[in-house]
Amino acid sequence: MVPVDMYLVLATVMFTCGIVGIMARRNLIMVLMSIELMLNAVNIVFVAASRAVNNLDGQIMVFFIITVAACEAAVGLAMVIALYRKYGRIDTNFLRMLRG
Amino acid sequence: MFWMIIFLPLLGALVNGLLVRNKVPKTLSHVIGAAALIGAFFCALAVYIPFMAGGGKQQIIIGMDWLRAGSFEAPFHFILDRLSGMMMLIVTGIGSLIHIYAGGYMHEEKETWRFFSYLNLFVFMMLLLVFGDNMLVMFIGWEGVGLCSYLLIGYWYESDANAAAGMKAFLVNRIGDIGFLIGIFLTYKYFGTVSFSELKDMVFGNGVTPVQLEAVSWITLALFIGACGKSAQLPLYVWLPDAMAGPTPVSALIHAATMVTAGIYMMTRLSFLYYLAPDTQVIVAAVGAATALFAATIALVQNDIKKVLAYSTVSQLGYMVLACGVGAFSGGVFHLFTHACFKALLFLGAGSVIVAMHHKQDMREMGGLKKYMPITHVVMLIGVLAIIGFPGLSGFFSKDEILWKAWIGGGPVIWLMGALAALCTAFYMVRLLMLTFYGPNRSDHHTREHLHETSVVMWGPLTILALLSVFVGYLNVPHVIPFPVHQLFDHYLAPVVEMPEIAKQNWTHLTATYPASLEFLLMGISVLGMFLSSAFAISLYGKGPSPLAKRMAERFSGIHELLENKYWIDEIYDAYIVKPLAEMSHFMWKVIDVMIIDGIVNGVGQACTLIGGLASFRMSGSIHRHAMVLVIGLLCMLTVLIF
Repeated sequence: MVPVDMYLVLATVMFTCGIVGIMARRNLIMVLMSIELMLNAVNIVFVAASRAVNNLDGQIMVFFIITVAACEAAVGLAMVIALYRKYGRIDTNFLRMLRG
Repeated sequence: MFWMIIFLPLLGALVNGLLVRNKVPKTLSHVIGAAALIGAFFCALAVYIPFMAGGGKQQIIIGMDWLRAGSFEAPFHFILDRLSGMMMLIVTGIGSLIHIYAGGYMHEEKETWRFFSYLNLFVFMMLLLVFGDNMLVMFIGWEGVGLCSYLLIGYWYESDANAAAGMKAFLVNRIGDIGFLIGIFLTYKYFGTVSFSELKDMVFGNGVTPVQLEAVSWITLALFIGACGKSAQLPLYVWLPDAMAGPTPVSALIHAATMVTAGIYMMTRLSFLYYLAPDTQVIVAAVGAATALFAATIALVQNDIKKVLAYSTVSQLGYMVLACGVGAFSGGVFHLFTHACFKALLFLGAGSVIVAMHHKQDMREMGGLKKYMPITHVVMLIGVLAIIGFPGLSGFFSKDEILWKAWIGGGPVIWLMGALAALCTAFYMVRLLMLTFYGPNRSDHHTREHLHETSVVMWGPLTILALLSVFVGYLNVPHVIPFPVHQLFDHYLAPVVEMPEIAKQNWTHLTATYPASLEFLLMGISVLGMFLSSAFAISLYGKGPSPLAKRMAERFSGIHELLENKYWIDEIYDAYIVKPLAEMSHFMWKVIDVMIIDGIVNGVGQACTLIGGLASFRMSGSIHRHAMVLVIGLLCMLTVLIF
């Protein structure tokens, strides 16, 4: 059986990839995908921990996270489409409406 | 049956005001309005007769629960005793007559449904005021009649002056209401109840503690301020003359017969408290006497027929308050009763004259109407004789009773003020009669051609009121006059105005016996004065305003001007109260509110924007940077948490 540490390592790598993706990529779709990556890293930790301590709560939580992630993706993509329709581009260097 | 008395007028108001409005002919709204009142009157009779047959003992009629907070209770319970029984008959009886009359008076109006709806609502509120067993229910009625008064004064709301008169009445009454409210609060604080019957049981059962006794002075004084507002006493009388802007039936019902007597009614209901407060009673008597004389002098020179009657009402209300002040509550209520009859008669008679004169109210343009309006002339003559205290008519008995009690209870000064007011009353009422019905006709040709007696709808009620004005006086004949029954009314009202045991030491002079010669003497003086004063008025105005009257006005031009301008009270109030208040409000608005309060609120908002602007230079808008700050922050927090 794969020890639980391995899962945690995998999750950490995935999570870091996600963070780096958010900070480095300029395409909004890639940013959204990075967020998905981070969420799934968390899911892996949940499932692994659930397995390790013989408690199903973590796995149930994963279902919730998957559901929320789906919704988030739907909303996020819709916003991306709306932005594209309005400005014709989804480059985050261009989209700086939060500037103070 | 009891509930019908109260709710029939409300039903009438609702039907007229909400259901039929202008969908039916005007006569039908009149029939609905009058029928509601006549029905209520017969219900009142049906309640009153068994009530008196059963001995006239006070009954509490359980209505429903209303306010209940801790030990405080104010249920809708109604009190039926000799006083409220009498008042319900006055309100519904005279109210019915005035409702019938109003149909004729308002004949040419467009929105009679509105008029009758308000008038019925008024009667409902008045009955609530009369029957309420606790001060709060009375207060609802008190405010309700004020509201209806406001609505009816401003009935012809297209004219700014009428709307302003309505507002003035409403606002001046509010000042009095503050006193009434404070009185209610104090009563609850010191007695733990606001119910009249419980209060009475408390005072007559256990007596009062010294603390309560001290509080009673303040309670009665505060309530008296309320009575001053409603019953048009100095210094809050100013709204009543202006209230004449309303239709004349309104002036008769609300501003002469019923609503303005609410203050006297309330004081009589609480007579046991007023007996306990001799200090307050001195103020009450002084205010009453001053009002009686003050208003009577103004009425001497007024030319508007309704203004004369309005000041006369203020003056007569002063008599009633004076009677309460000297401890003669039954005398005050008796004058209330007779005054309701003859003043309603006078107002309605004046209304007939005004209709015949095409809504001209200036007496200088009238004269000689005797020929054109014989019935109105006769009933007005009776009304005038009643109010000036012609021996044998109702006003004689009630006014003389008050003057007599003023002598024994208030002393010669108070009596003198009352007697002088009576002289003035005789003068201005006879002057009114002379200028209106006698002498040559001074109206223009067009008006004279249309002069005519009014329809039976209008003079019918007048004759009934005239009969009442003649005969109700015999209900309270003083002992000194030979008559089969004496002082029926005093005996009738005695259980209501009973004096608490501990108060009796202060009022021994009321129960003492006096020589009949003294009473005869005072009566003789006032009757003689009345005759002289009337004769003087006849000589001055019998054939229209005589040259002598004009010469006197010129000779005493200072006094004449002072009286004609009503002592400039309105102007003084305007300059010293209304203007400063308006200016202060303007200052509060422009400086305190707009500059200071709004300035602070807007300033805080602007400061936030400014500080935010300063802090926002790091906000590049790049989500990558935001994410980086987020991660660094997270790492810092994790570092702190873990190590």
